Amino acid sequence: MTQIAAERYTGASVKRSEDPRILTGGGRYVADVKLPGMLHAAFVRSPLAHARVLAVDVSAARALPGVVAVLTGAELEAMTVPGPDPLLALMGGGGPTPEYTLLATDKVRFAGDPVAIVVAESRYLAEDGCELVEVDYADLPPVVSAGLALDAGSPPVFANLGDNIVGPHKRSEFGDVAGTFAAADRVAEFHIDVHRHQNVPMEGRGCIVSHDADSGIVTVHAATQSVHITRMGVAMRLGIEQDKVRVLAGDIGGSFGLKIGVSREELAVAAASRAVGRPVKWVEDRSENLSASGHAREESFDVRAAVSKDGDLLGLDVKMVIDTGAYPVMGTMVPAIIEMMLPGPYKLAALGFESTAVTTNKASYVAYRGPWASETFVRERVLDLLAKDLGLDPLEIRLRNVAPRTDPPFTMITGRPLVGVTTKESLERVAHAVDIPAFRRRQAEERARGRYLGIGLATFIEGAPGPRSPEGPSGPMGLEFMRLRLAEDGVVTLFTGQMPHGQSHQTTLAQIAADEFGVPFEQVRVVVGDSDVVPFGLTGGSRSATMTGGVTLHGARQLKAKVLEFASHLMEASARDLEIVDGEVLVRGDPDSAMTVAEVARQAASGQFGSDVDPDLAVEASYDGGEGGWSGGSHCAIVEVDVETGMVKVERYVAAEDCGALINPAVVEGQIRGGIAQGIGAVLLERSAYDQDGNYQSATFMDYLLPTACDIPRIEIEHLETVPLDADVNFRGVGEGGMIVAPPTVVNAIEDALTPFGVRIYEQHLPPARILELIAASTPA
Amino acid sequence: MVDITVRVNGATHAGSVEPRMTLSDFLRDDLDLTGTHVGCEHGACGACTVIVDGRAVRSCLMLAVQAAGSEVTTIEGLAPEGTLGPLQQAMRDSHSFQCGFCTPGFVMQASAFLSAHPDAGEQEIREALSGNICRCTGYQSIIDGVLLAARRGREA
Repeated sequence: MTQIAAERYTGASVKRSEDPRILTGGGRYVADVKLPGMLHAAFVRSPLAHARVLAVDVSAARALPGVVAVLTGAELEAMTVPGPDPLLALMGGGGPTPEYTLLATDKVRFAGDPVAIVVAESRYLAEDGCELVEVDYADLPPVVSAGLALDAGSPPVFANLGDNIVGPHKRSEFGDVAGTFAAADRVAEFHIDVHRHQNVPMEGRGCIVSHDADSGIVTVHAATQSVHITRMGVAMRLGIEQDKVRVLAGDIGGSFGLKIGVSREELAVAAASRAVGRPVKWVEDRSENLSASGHAREESFDVRAAVSKDGDLLGLDVKMVIDTGAYPVMGTMVPAIIEMMLPGPYKLAALGFESTAVTTNKASYVAYRGPWASETFVRERVLDLLAKDLGLDPLEIRLRNVAPRTDPPFTMITGRPLVGVTTKESLERVAHAVDIPAFRRRQAEERARGRYLGIGLATFIEGAPGPRSPEGPSGPMGLEFMRLRLAEDGVVTLFTGQMPHGQSHQTTLAQIAADEFGVPFEQVRVVVGDSDVVPFGLTGGSRSATMTGGVTLHGARQLKAKVLEFASHLMEASARDLEIVDGEVLVRGDPDSAMTVAEVARQAASGQFGSDVDPDLAVEASYDGGEGGWSGGSHCAIVEVDVETGMVKVERYVAAEDCGALINPAVVEGQIRGGIAQGIGAVLLERSAYDQDGNYQSATFMDYLLPTACDIPRIEIEHLETVPLDADVNFRGVGEGGMIVAPPTVVNAIEDALTPFGVRIYEQHLPPARILELIAASTPA
Repeated sequence: MVDITVRVNGATHAGSVEPRMTLSDFLRDDLDLTGTHVGCEHGACGACTVIVDGRAVRSCLMLAVQAAGSEVTTIEGLAPEGTLGPLQQAMRDSHSFQCGFCTPGFVMQASAFLSAHPDAGEQEIREALSGNICRCTGYQSIIDGVLLAARRGREA
């Protein structure tokens, strides 16, 4: 079924190839996989935030019929290789390395910390077994805030560190910080907090691991953003070669960063499977997901801003503390990205930045959609606070400070060129769409009637992938690879290390390959999720539009050249005179010469050729990102705050976004809307809350509130397309921007609505109770 | 163990279940109907929604034994194999979903709602689906899919 008549698939909202299966219950998620002889695991978890483990008595659990094995932390430690989190080891954290085990041994470090694993014939029986495990704890004082962790007298969460600093204090300066502040008309100071909240994919973590004793091969069915990173982690901890581990993944029920690595629990399941000699499945329940899978943000910022009386933002000096929770995964890497991104699209000429990362008795910091997003929150909040103090309009202060688009491009004070950034255009576009003067008139009229409306504006840029770096791509975020093959049935097969979990790669990559190679969309197959078959890769960091889009385009071009070269021998024509149109190879201008690509592939497979002919119709391609470039945009929200109840309603939301050339507009818009919904949720609803003893308060969906269809308005999207930077590849990532910029957009709107009360907002989480507190504590303007 | 007989997607299934087994686990584990997803196990997210005797229910909150003698429809039973029903087609046409995990619950909830309220407007649809959580889409594309199905239903 060819679904569109357009000349090209790329750029059209081609219907997703994923949908027929997911709409009929045919998706295959990790929980759906069943293996013969499969057992089920459940974890005994700590009810305490910080305690010494005195004894673990598993005898009653082991005696329960149906329980096959119960393994304690000490037993698991003896079966595995110690080391830091595999993702931390791969990406490099830079700070001191805490020493710990997959399951707690000497002590527990957060409420939810796994202490033992019970393996049984069913999940029901495994949970029964958990109930029978008795753990004796001796309470330790919990370190439940960054403030406590910074106190040199706080008990160390990790004995080998001596204190709770996992990212040692570091200060950098860009430009003349002291001179800029000394010369500024004004210096304003703010303390800004970003609260702890979390990914909450609708499918939690999970895996099934089996071990073949004869070959020594471990097979992992995983819910992951990268089969290769999972493979690396499992091999590291089991102490076996990577080629002894095969990781398979089917459909993934969302992630937003959570599943980029491989968790302690998943590694424990792998070890347990090897120990019992049968496949073991673990699928976390929602309470485990909310309390133990990991949380994000929880950062605080002391900000000094140097500003001219006319509203020029001259310098920022920012001190950041990040609470990475227990068992550091990647929180220690975040401050460096925040530092680099803090200037955003602005002319800022001086930046001082210092950071400290601490460990606490809370769930681990994990990547969540735009892990560095707080740079945008801080900057866009500060601009509004400054505008208020100076009597400037929020649009005016931004337009005044945006870096001009020049050639060569303006370079951020932290070093990266703002090539192709369209902030000014996107600001003007949203401002025009909402008609700010008309809104101000309505706002005044409604205020007179006791209704409080507010408008908020914020802008962002996202390195998706970012400008070409002089050092070239490197590490896990480096080159993108793809194998491409023309099969005998005429299907162009793409083998990619991307592991889509909602991003629609099976559709978007096929669109690009179909156009470039010259076959119908339906004649392209995208293979993902088998570490034995696909090249290295990961889905994350909004990198796939450019990186995988690019390798698909160039790989399809290479494969086409190879097919034409081979066909030239069959068709007795020069490859230069051949083309592929709609799945047929033909001599240009001679329709009678047409031969299907399937026929060409069948001939190639027949093998009747001399040594001068290469009949292997496959290529291995790589792509370095070309000229790269920035994604970005400006968002505007109109909210109404009910000052009696504290409820906030988002009445209108407009986004003007530039992600370069669109591969599939419907997919792009889905990413933008989804990110905005998460950002609205973060401000109005979501919080991963601990009490003062480190008890987790948000372990169900009655406590951790997610936005519903009644909370998220229609989101209007306007697309800008930057001047192309590259001859072929101008697709840029759009995965994180919505979540990055929606929180300041909404908070700015709320503050604007509360202007008559003189409310100033220095935080991100604004549920109704907090709104009422802010109003009560304010001094009316 | 309790012996039960349930009609699921038009076929009669006899099974022997523990009294504590949920309907969602019975469908997924005993009948291999893995299209019904379990998203929270406490009735809050709606991913496990199936239709029991004409009403949308959370199969994680219903025990398998409570479904004895009932007629259950799951996502697998909504349209003949290999085809999309009108609602599913409208959702595909509207790019309703992304990761697909919440999808079966939304489809079943919307299907039950549309049968009872074929003329529903946007706000009613939003309210009817407000007990189902999607973390990917921001809901607009799902609402558009249901609106499109409703419109096509009226025009047919």
